[in-house]
Amino acid sequence: MPALDRCLNVYDLRAAAKRRLPRAVFEFVDRGSEDGIAVANNRSAFERIKLRHRALVDVSGRAMNTTLFGKPVSMPMAIAPTGAAGLCWHEGELELAKAAAKAKIPFTLATGAMTSMEKIAEQAGPSVGGGLWFQLYVWNQREFSYQLIDRANRAGFEALIVTVDTIVPPNREYNTHNGFLLPFTPNVTFTLDIMRHPVWFTNVQMKYFTTIGMPRNENYPDAYRRMSRNDPTTTEMTRQDSLNWDDIRIFREKWPGILMIKGINRPDDALKAIEYGVDGIVVSNHGGRNMDSVVASLDVLPEIAEAVGDRLTVILDSGVRRGSDIVKALALGAKAVLTGRATLYGTAVGGEAGAFKAINLIRNEMDKTMAYTGCRSVDEITTDIFFGGRQGNRMFDRVMDEAAL
Amino acid sequence: MANVDRCLNVWDLRSAAQRRLPKGVFEFVDRATEDHLAVTNNRSAFEHLKLRHRALVDVSGRSVATTLFGKPASLPMAIAPTGAAGLCWHEGELELAKAAAKAKIPLTLSTASMTPMEKIAAVGGRLWFQLYVWKQRELSHQLIQRANRNGFEALIVTVDSPVSPNREYNTHNGFGLPFTPTLRFTLDMVRHPAWSSSVLMRYFTSGRFPRHENYPEEYQSSILSGVGSRDALRADSLAWEDVAKFRDMWPGVLMLKGVNRPDDAIKALSYGIDGIVVSNHGGRNMDSAAASLEVLPEIAEAVGDKMTLILDSGVRRGSDIVKALALGAKAVLTGRATLYGTAVGGEAGALRAINILKSEADKTMAYTGCRTVDEVSTDIFWGYRGGNRLMGA
Repeated sequence: MPALDRCLNVYDLRAAAKRRLPRAVFEFVDRGSEDGIAVANNRSAFERIKLRHRALVDVSGRAMNTTLFGKPVSMPMAIAPTGAAGLCWHEGELELAKAAAKAKIPFTLATGAMTSMEKIAEQAGPSVGGGLWFQLYVWNQREFSYQLIDRANRAGFEALIVTVDTIVPPNREYNTHNGFLLPFTPNVTFTLDIMRHPVWFTNVQMKYFTTIGMPRNENYPDAYRRMSRNDPTTTEMTRQDSLNWDDIRIFREKWPGILMIKGINRPDDALKAIEYGVDGIVVSNHGGRNMDSVVASLDVLPEIAEAVGDRLTVILDSGVRRGSDIVKALALGAKAVLTGRATLYGTAVGGEAGAFKAINLIRNEMDKTMAYTGCRSVDEITTDIFFGGRQGNRMFDRVMDEAAL
Repeated sequence: MANVDRCLNVWDLRSAAQRRLPKGVFEFVDRATEDHLAVTNNRSAFEHLKLRHRALVDVSGRSVATTLFGKPASLPMAIAPTGAAGLCWHEGELELAKAAAKAKIPLTLSTASMTPMEKIAAVGGRLWFQLYVWKQRELSHQLIQRANRNGFEALIVTVDSPVSPNREYNTHNGFGLPFTPTLRFTLDMVRHPAWSSSVLMRYFTSGRFPRHENYPEEYQSSILSGVGSRDALRADSLAWEDVAKFRDMWPGVLMLKGVNRPDDAIKALSYGIDGIVVSNHGGRNMDSAAASLEVLPEIAEAVGDKMTLILDSGVRRGSDIVKALALGAKAVLTGRATLYGTAVGGEAGALRAINILKSEADKTMAYTGCRTVDEVSTDIFWGYRGGNRLMGA
């Protein structure tokens, strides 16, 4: 795996993934929506925060392990739900889940995954030390969603993450320009794209053809599996814009395990989540892939963390590419982060080994950032390590001040 | 030395160094860590500070000279400790030391230098020694004693490097320590024949490949070998108790390099430290580090009148020295600027770099109406009048 050995950070993995994947697949993973503003802003929110070296603390015994919902994890990170791992690598979700189990961090399987949840549970679940979470997109016909929840529960998933920030399909214009339509619809643009990437075609697409045919949404009910995006009934079936708090109440009743809501961006919504008995929230703007005008999730984190305190577990995603980003998110009140693209790039370059490499690169960077800032455990990470904005979780004020200048 | 003469500022020296050095060596000197946020931010901190002309002050008798730890320096500047001067020029540290002595500013020899401290001591001038603390403390203590015997007046303990930074470009360039021959680096050298013949071949013909000459014999070996790296250098247990021990052992001036917080600075005072270098290691360690110029005012407020504050990280123009002084530093260190000079012309190039910075500092003082370094204050800033409140501005 020489390509993988040459990758020393997530950006190297990204570059290698770009070379390897058809353009349409790479851009589906890499880009955001509309003008790419939210994606860029997510990064600058992290990069704006400056830290200080702490001198002369003996950090030789430092560790970044922690607990999430009472269970030990080797670092405050979990794999975000993404739909495209199976296009980055043959059975990519399984590879990613195995890497997460090996790294002792939770793996989230997406509703839109191309590997069945039973297969994930069997090969990367508790039997091999893996912690599995399931992400839910709620369908217009709620009954199908309830069936899916039951299925996830039976398969042994410990947490359910309900995504609430995707009530309408986003404008990802590049997918159309690239001829990238799911399920696959033959067209010249995408066919030429595939032909320019024979390694991917051989190792990913041909493996599906020779085994199961086209990769499918293996967790969809049968009625949804063979649907076409162009079919008006499909649009009706996947509508999510009626999703509301009553649904959360029902999910809470139906789901015995840990319940999280993903895509919370406001303190009032976070407080409401507590009322509904939710265990955790993911402060997320969907990696900048939905609303392009959205604020960086790191920028909204302090307000939300202040509002909810320790009444529920706050997790952050959207923009994490370096280990220092995790340290910053923890300082601002997150208990952990999710990585989507970073580990997908790794998966695209080397399957399980690539995903594992991505996790370890980030882990190594986080370890160094803790050492430089004098933090021996994740509990010691506070805004005290920040330059400016050290009075509690007041990063937000600072960001606003800078914006006003 | 026509090449040196054509260089009119540090950026010219940088370009000339880039042409002359193999990419692996140049990037080792020039680049920083990870996404280069810190190194860029160091520069913008200086560039964001705006000064005002002061009208009609007779500045004809102005001087940039100062005293550092009670001894004169021709300019409020000293040479920072760097490990790569010996790769920029044959025996580059010696050249740099000669230039510093000639310019009457202190030179700091790095633990990782490739010239033995005895040879540097023979040059004379004001000499400081920088210490990386090894896991086996006894070996570090021996090194301190050796520096003391050789007449080094100050010891600088680096405290911002508990772990090795992510400098991914070194690996991509095939430029790792221990140095292992890679095709990529060989091709890089072939493309830079002037460097290969004047630097590398001279080491070859002298039969001594560059090595860490100041390491204890257990660690000392050429940079071709892995000994003396990684585990031996593991310094993440460095703590204040070590500083107490260094204070007991070292009779001269004792400084800590890499202090970035007022509370740490106050603690340094209580350990009898004479000076601190406010530094983020030239942006080469933690990429999220705040600019050292930005953290300087708070630290100056906390301890500025009780110990000597020195700033480094980002100094490329003489005006930067004036800005650092205004914010509470007594002097600055230059690392890359004088290394670029060394790479272009050895001693002459290093002296050129120093003189360029000196001339620029002199002109900035003239424009702002400062006749002595003591007259440099935040009064010369635009939009910055309330004491050391850079962040509030």
